[in-house]
Amino acid sequence: MKTAAPKMTTTRLKAGMTGWLFISIAVIMIAAFYFYPMIQALILSFKTGTGSNLTFNGIDNYKRLFTDKMFITAVKNTFIYLIFQVPLMVILALFISVLLNDKNLKFKGFFRTAIFLPCITSLVAYSVVFKYLFSADGLVNSLLLNLHVIGTPIQWITDPFWAKVTIIIAITWRWTGYNMIFYLSGLQNIDSSIYEAARIDGASPIRQFFNITVPLLKPIILFTSITSTIGTLQLFDEIMNITKGGPGNATSSISQYIYNLSFKYSSDFGYAATVSYSIVIMIIILSIIQFKVAGEKK
Amino acid sequence: MKKMTFLLLIASLILLSACSSNSEKAATTTDSGKKEITVWAWDPNFNIAALKLAKDRYVAKHPDVNVNIVEYAQNDIVQKMNAGLNSGSTKGLPNVVLIEDYRAQNFLQAYPDSFHDMSSSIKASDFADYKIGPTSYNGKQYGVPFDSGVMGLYVRTDYLEQAGYKVADLTNIDWDKFIEIGKAVKQKTGKDMLTQDPNDLGLIRGMIQSAGSWYLKEDGKTPNLAGNTALKEALLTYKSLFDANIVKMNADWSQFLAAFNSGAVASVPTGNWITPSIKAEASQSGKWAVVPFPKLKNVPESVNASSLGGSSWYVLNSDGQDTAADFLKETFGSDPELYQDMLSKIGIVGSLNAASSGKAYDEADPYFGGDKVFKKFAEWTKQVPKVNYGLHTYAIEDIMTVEIQNYLNGKDVDAVLKDAQGQAEAQLK
Repeated sequence: MKTAAPKMTTTRLKAGMTGWLFISIAVIMIAAFYFYPMIQALILSFKTGTGSNLTFNGIDNYKRLFTDKMFITAVKNTFIYLIFQVPLMVILALFISVLLNDKNLKFKGFFRTAIFLPCITSLVAYSVVFKYLFSADGLVNSLLLNLHVIGTPIQWITDPFWAKVTIIIAITWRWTGYNMIFYLSGLQNIDSSIYEAARIDGASPIRQFFNITVPLLKPIILFTSITSTIGTLQLFDEIMNITKGGPGNATSSISQYIYNLSFKYSSDFGYAATVSYSIVIMIIILSIIQFKVAGEKK
Repeated sequence: MKKMTFLLLIASLILLSACSSNSEKAATTTDSGKKEITVWAWDPNFNIAALKLAKDRYVAKHPDVNVNIVEYAQNDIVQKMNAGLNSGSTKGLPNVVLIEDYRAQNFLQAYPDSFHDMSSSIKASDFADYKIGPTSYNGKQYGVPFDSGVMGLYVRTDYLEQAGYKVADLTNIDWDKFIEIGKAVKQKTGKDMLTQDPNDLGLIRGMIQSAGSWYLKEDGKTPNLAGNTALKEALLTYKSLFDANIVKMNADWSQFLAAFNSGAVASVPTGNWITPSIKAEASQSGKWAVVPFPKLKNVPESVNASSLGGSSWYVLNSDGQDTAADFLKETFGSDPELYQDMLSKIGIVGSLNAASSGKAYDEADPYFGGDKVFKKFAEWTKQVPKVNYGLHTYAIEDIMTVEIQNYLNGKDVDAVLKDAQGQAEAQLK
């Protein structure tokens, strides 16, 4: 290697240059459209004022986070969605994918498509449909009334508790199919001889599920739970279109609060940037925890 | 090979720079030598319809000007304006924009040099007094007052008759009387008296403005919640409405419209901009009447008139601002005939004083049982108390919606206002 070095330098340099030229486009694009705005937003998060009248105020915005009741409510709501919805969806997706992976199942393609379809629908469109399904005199209530499950219509959207339930149902409907696809592809990579061996050893299907399927899908479960966590922390469209954060902030999310700070209230872009960075920090912390708890040891 | 990569790089860079310079031209002179101005507004049945009338009248006199009307939802306009003005460039922004009065001070103060001073184009005293506060800043008149937002109480005469009341029984009443009638209507007809969205405190806004009060003090910045007698009375009244079980809940605008179009409620207390939506249900023609907005019983300042969600026109400081200012000056700023047109064709009650009388105001509307409703609205416009909406209407309202939920669930009213005050003070720095 060492002796060949002088001869290699020019060609290697040339090759290196060409390589750099190719990735330079991507680098410039990423720097201009990702890193520059991120740094600008970080600087903005230390400023305060309305609209374009901004002044530096140090870490006051970050201190304000801890005393801001609306922010705390939004964080609480977001974590309620997280705690209930992510496990619910992961388990449901896992369950469905195992069912759909059954070799003897007919119309497999149809079921897979049907369950995957929700996640290619537009966020706004499905939110609006959900709002009507769950309105006081909507389809869900009339169904439940006709089946005599309930006596009076449930105030799905205008009651603080039920509004949260509606949001959870909505996001579960929208994203379960998406996670299911990951599990299905994971399941197809598990050698069927493992199950065969287990069957011969007399392991029940439930035992097979917990002792073979789940451990072998662990990396995928980790991946889906991290992406779902990030997605839930950034939850916006559903809240904005179904409940607008109401009744009385009962369903507000952090992203929706950022929108309100920027456009509904008095255009406090500095503080809105601070709240955005709080999401970044939360995502980092949660991802580290998830990696520590479920991650593969290297 | 090397040449290829270099070319690729250059091509992509050109593409990049092209993206940034290819934004819409706001408007100046087009190729044909015509001057063009762009106007943004929301609501096709109301504001856009008014703009079209104004455009026709203006272009007839100024054939060298082209008025380009663009319809956006109000939220979109607010977002686009904020993003555009914040970037410091007026490219892609319109020349004239409609802004809701509650938000006007926010724009005027956040982007102080971005709006054209209209003081020399229009006379502020030509317009309803209460519209001047929101549309002016630092002694300069920026907005051309437009939609008066004047409130009325739309009532279903047939339901009232079934409950044994006449329209006269609801005229110039206070909210206690309203609730009393509402209970009777509910008992006799099974219909709720009104519909409310728990996230929208428009009714409370209307109540406090009827007493000349607002969420903020005169300076437009200091929260005025604890110890605000009008607000306290409004909350007490609001709760009584719910306690009387005469409120049908709705979750958004379309459900709000559906509530009265389907005949589920007996009255709609709101701004006059709802008239086209009420009349949209032709089968209910002759069953509606309009009476003054109820007042607060225990607040002596409260009158039977208020305003809700009015809006005004603004000119942006950019190329074409003189043409834009002239357009507003000659149309919404001074043309009483345009207002007659708007009234008879669309049903818009403007806020230009000179336009508050005339033939169109004397026309009887068969939909409202032959009543001269526009004349009534025009008269109420003169009585609406003047308040300063200030900077934070919607921020405070979000605090209030939470506290009002607590209040409806049993929290003490004084504690509600005190907590809301504390939160507002902490948040609105």
